[in-house]
Amino acid sequence: MEELWNQIALAQEPLAGEYINFLRLAVPILTALLLLRCALPLLTFRREPEIWAWLNMPDGNQIPITHWENVIGRSKACDVIIELSTVSRNHAVLTRYDDGSWSISDAGSKAGTFVNGKSIQMCALDSRDRISIGGVDMHLQPITERQEERQAQLRTKAASGWDSVTNLLLLTILQCLMLIGFMLKAQRADFISIFQGFGGIILCQWLLFIFYAMIRRKSFELETMALFLCTMGMAAIATVKPDETVKQMFALIFGIVVFLLIGWSLRDLERAKKVRYLAVVAGVAFLALTLVFGTEYYGAKNWIIINGMSLQPSELSKVCFVFAGASTMDRIINKRNLFLFIVYSVVICGFLTLMNDFGTALIFFCAFLVIAYLRSGSVGTIALAITALAFAGVLALKIAPHALQRFDTWRHVWEDPLVSGYQQTRALMCIASGGLLGLGPEGGLLQYVFAADSDIVFATISEEWGLLTAVMTVLCIAVFGFFAIRTSRVARSSFYSIGACTAASVLTIQTILNCLGTVDVLPFTGVTFPFVSNGGTSMIGAWGLLAFVKAADTRQNASFAVRLVKKGE
Amino acid sequence: MNRVTKRTWMISLFILALLGGLLFFLGEYAFKASDWVIFSGSPHIYNGTNIGFGTVTDRSGETLLVMSDGRTYSENATTRKSTLHWLGDRDGYIKASTVSNYAAHMAGFDLVNGIYDSAGGGVTKLTISAQVQNAALEAMGSRKGTIAVYNYKTGEILCALTTPTYDPDNVPDIAGDETGAYDGVYLNRFLQSAYVPGSIYKIVTTAAALDCVEDIEERSFTCYGKVEYGSEAVTCETAHGRQSLQKAFANSCNCAFAQIAELIGKDNMTRYVSAFAVADSLTIDGVATAKGNYDVSQAAPVSFAWSCIGQYNDLINPARYMTFLGAIAGGGRGAEPYIVSEVECGGSTTYRARTSTSQRVMSEQIAEKLGEYMRNNVKSVYGDGNFPGLSVCAKSGTSQLGGEQDPNAMFAGFVQNEEYPLAFIVVVENGGYGSHTCVPILSKVLSACKAVMDGE
Repeated sequence: MEELWNQIALAQEPLAGEYINFLRLAVPILTALLLLRCALPLLTFRREPEIWAWLNMPDGNQIPITHWENVIGRSKACDVIIELSTVSRNHAVLTRYDDGSWSISDAGSKAGTFVNGKSIQMCALDSRDRISIGGVDMHLQPITERQEERQAQLRTKAASGWDSVTNLLLLTILQCLMLIGFMLKAQRADFISIFQGFGGIILCQWLLFIFYAMIRRKSFELETMALFLCTMGMAAIATVKPDETVKQMFALIFGIVVFLLIGWSLRDLERAKKVRYLAVVAGVAFLALTLVFGTEYYGAKNWIIINGMSLQPSELSKVCFVFAGASTMDRIINKRNLFLFIVYSVVICGFLTLMNDFGTALIFFCAFLVIAYLRSGSVGTIALAITALAFAGVLALKIAPHALQRFDTWRHVWEDPLVSGYQQTRALMCIASGGLLGLGPEGGLLQYVFAADSDIVFATISEEWGLLTAVMTVLCIAVFGFFAIRTSRVARSSFYSIGACTAASVLTIQTILNCLGTVDVLPFTGVTFPFVSNGGTSMIGAWGLLAFVKAADTRQNASFAVRLVKKGE
Repeated sequence: MNRVTKRTWMISLFILALLGGLLFFLGEYAFKASDWVIFSGSPHIYNGTNIGFGTVTDRSGETLLVMSDGRTYSENATTRKSTLHWLGDRDGYIKASTVSNYAAHMAGFDLVNGIYDSAGGGVTKLTISAQVQNAALEAMGSRKGTIAVYNYKTGEILCALTTPTYDPDNVPDIAGDETGAYDGVYLNRFLQSAYVPGSIYKIVTTAAALDCVEDIEERSFTCYGKVEYGSEAVTCETAHGRQSLQKAFANSCNCAFAQIAELIGKDNMTRYVSAFAVADSLTIDGVATAKGNYDVSQAAPVSFAWSCIGQYNDLINPARYMTFLGAIAGGGRGAEPYIVSEVECGGSTTYRARTSTSQRVMSEQIAEKLGEYMRNNVKSVYGDGNFPGLSVCAKSGTSQLGGEQDPNAMFAGFVQNEEYPLAFIVVVENGGYGSHTCVPILSKVLSACKAVMDGE
């Protein structure tokens, strides 16, 4: 190593200039290629309707059952519509389970739901059972195992393993090129830790990939994009705080572990429902801990300092909140959990008020809106709307006046460039200095501005790696969002749909607040950029949220969070 | 499930907000990035309040300052002192805005590469000559004031010295100084000061009289040493007797000008001052100079008389007044002065100054007549021999400051020679009698200018 260094040092000066010229072009080109290769399969996969059972009606008609969770009723929004006045608007819910078994539950109908003549609340079904809804008799005929296998074969395959290897190789090349850039430009003392940081990411990504290969999962697009974001974050930290690269690498490892754990718990819906209770408690506990042991920075009590390590537990609470908000169809229709969820949101809102953290409160509020909108039925709508109003009211009355000082500066940063507009004006100046292609590693000066590796990290990346690359980091998040929408439509349970959509919304909103706040399109709130900003808890939270998006991916062999159809996976 | 899946479109609102915001920002970038990058304090361009990037040379290409890495000034100590106010200091006390205003050209910014291609920055060439600046500094010595010379045909400022000054590589104890030697040292007096003009203002009054008093040249004015206005009076040091306008101008006779002021009248005088723009601010390379003052709306007759002699509450800015003399020299309109001649960056010229001529401020005949009178002043009073090879036209002034202070010595004029089209102004604070103090200084500076122009 020592010898290598000395040799490099000799060749460094003339080489560095030429190399940076090359790097400025190579990084955006590789990034664009990588983004395109990852995003296309996520945004273009075909969403074939899957048929899981037939409902044989007395007139001989067969109604296809296309989801794992189906609402039967008179309402147009139902999955199986029976237009009879004796049938309630939302009458019953048919649910399929992992093992292929089915159940039916009454959704508080007026006339009741009968199986083999008995009024039931919830009942397991097989094909011989006679279901009676509003006087209509019907039989459920699940598809055979052979049909199911055939269906699995026809289902869109996730990208082939080779595609994923190619993508990961591209990412690895990108990381190595960036690392060489740092080797030529960074202080020698710093380079060791920069090397460890980048090396850690490369090692993590290949280990994760090998683990996927072992469990025969092939889709790696979401992970590749997330790892790319982590790489850009690492590049910013390498410039701004090189001694924190190793810490960030450990946060990444932690994040991936959390990602796998949440994914595993989501794989089995029954298990997920149990973990959910744990998550609900943890979500409140994280906030409570912050309030009790937290330290106040800039008016917001959002940090816990343990042994010099600063943690932001509210980042983890977001993941718990997504867990708490997700729910299966039968529960949504029966409005079970709804009351609990509302109480839970009120409690969270209370804690956030006490913490006085506007950015976090805003994210929770948007997450609440998403969940509320996705879950709401008629009565539920009213209850949720009232809660939303209360949430917004508290936000407006209690927290906003404090945050309003920042709003004063919004769109006026150039009028007070040395005090309230300092970070944003420096960010804009440095983005402009970097142009579309950037000034190369260690070429930037934004590193001396406060929070260059977190709150205004978008500008740091833009300055050194170019606006093109910085824009592509934002596009990665947009791809997560679009993918969540597409995949949640074919998700098997509303639990996954709601989870994926809420998680993607939280990631998107954080990116909106971070990036657009940095460049003064929106007020500056100091929210983290998921996967990119320096911060351990933020990193773990981002991976936790990504697990929900991953769990909704039903492409064959795509997600570790979905069981393979064949046994012996 | 339909119920939930049909509503997932809502998430696209957030994504569209993200993409829309991003697009909006990219639009802003396209239109505003060139302003952002050079905004005062931009980390890559500025070092404190002054630009920290690129090189500044004088008109001959002699390096005056390399701005990157802590600023390296000229090797010559005199040059460091004589050019300091155009370059700025290391601490940001002296703000060199004329150079900073060309930051964008120096940076060689473009939207694709940012400032990447211009590592080290461009080269800004000033119109001033280090050689002339140094000659001016030596001539001024320890006196405070300013001396400036510009080419009224092209607008180039050859010399604009302001004193006191100091060596930025050897900064004296300015804060601890009690002698007053460094009073106003951070001020660029040429741009930022406004002075009581004294008798050089008689140029303005004479121009007004020539234009609006029909038979002014046939009239004669008798000076008894005093014109009384009740308990107050306008006075001369000696009684000049009977004089024509030209003679009164040469003698700088206050009593005659008090009578001429009456002929012109307040309204006319105010109108001419406004037409000549002598009290207005001037913009040189994007920097606005101090404003002058001429306001006789509340003036009693004696005060109005004094206002036509450059006293009362009259104020002029040296740069603006020099430009007025350039306009007279140019036959009623002259070039606007500038100090940044060109900027080069990355092998190409990113800025080149162009001559812009002012609007006509007076008729050619009156300008010519004033030239004649001012030429006569030099020949008959100041001594043509002080300016060998140059036909200089000028007017001196000794502006009274009140109190115990010695008067400021003022001198303004131009050179008529076709090959040396120079207009000038000299201000020596508390310098005593105008021509006595200023002529020797100007003599040295003009001959230095001549030498430089001959060399080119």
